[in-house]
Amino acid sequence: MLRALFETVEAFPSSVAIRESLNAYPILLTSHVIGMCAFAGLVMMMDFRLAGVGNRSTSITDVQGRLFPWQMVGMVISAVTGLLLLYGQPMRFYPNFYFWIKNVLMVLAAVNIWYFHTKTYQTVEEWNTDPTPPFAARLAGIVSIVLWAAIVIIGRMIAYPGLVPQWWLDLRLEG
Amino acid sequence: MEETGFSLQPFFVWMQESSFSQFMLDTTWSQPIVQVMHLVALSIFAGSVLIVDLRLLGVGVVKTPLAKVADEATPWMVWALVALLITGTPSLMSLAMKQYFSPFFWWKMQLLVLGLIFTFTIRRRLTQTDEAKLGPVWPKVAGMFSISVWCGVAIGARLIGLFS
Repeated sequence: MLRALFETVEAFPSSVAIRESLNAYPILLTSHVIGMCAFAGLVMMMDFRLAGVGNRSTSITDVQGRLFPWQMVGMVISAVTGLLLLYGQPMRFYPNFYFWIKNVLMVLAAVNIWYFHTKTYQTVEEWNTDPTPPFAARLAGIVSIVLWAAIVIIGRMIAYPGLVPQWWLDLRLEG
Repeated sequence: MEETGFSLQPFFVWMQESSFSQFMLDTTWSQPIVQVMHLVALSIFAGSVLIVDLRLLGVGVVKTPLAKVADEATPWMVWALVALLITGTPSLMSLAMKQYFSPFFWWKMQLLVLGLIFTFTIRRRLTQTDEAKLGPVWPKVAGMFSISVWCGVAIGARLIGLFS
């Protein structure tokens, strides 16, 4: 089912055009890294504040609210270029172990954000300027740092499709 | 690479032929491990530079004094830089000849030197100066310059791997 979707997309003329363009891949991949720098970098600056290990003179709501637009700039660049990279070579990524792990990790990061904002962040006014926030906030920050670092790491590992568990290779997804 | 009479080529040949480079090339996981750590360090470096550059541009965490933002970002920036240098060295050594003949490597290194000098001299002085004395223009120029130079470093770096 999923395989058929990836194969169908790969046959689209616009997918072929990206794949066969000499410039598209370098431009997309380089932009993806620049977007990652802005997004992962500024998210981790916010997480350091939550974890109580950085930017401690700035209130939590300031770090969160005022960096947010710039995090979004980075995220839009990363997301658009990432989706185009995927769109151009779906069958390169379909059998890639790390591609799927990265997607799972991004879902986990989204769950962490959702939980933090609906639960922990509700009481922010009580600890907004505390240099060391309460445990739940520190934990959310640490979990976020670990997840985004893992996403960066696993994203880079997509370039090593052979360095994966043998059982994954035994699935023979390349087709 | 230019005809200057002075050549770094013997140094790059020495790096390429070192037993450490051979170790890097012979062990399956050494290169990816170094690469992923380089990228995590890059993210932290970029964040700690960008939070100050945005503040210089008059956006981001504007309620906190500039000097405070810079003081708190600097340790992260410096340690991330140390990690970048430590993880960058094995990559450079094991692929020394590829790097030597890549125009993007020299692009990256020249911008890197420019970025480091700027960051630890002019930018550092600016962030320690009373904001009222700086006026509205120079901090913005410095912030834009910093973002541009570091983007240039990252672009050059990414292109080394893609064209060889």
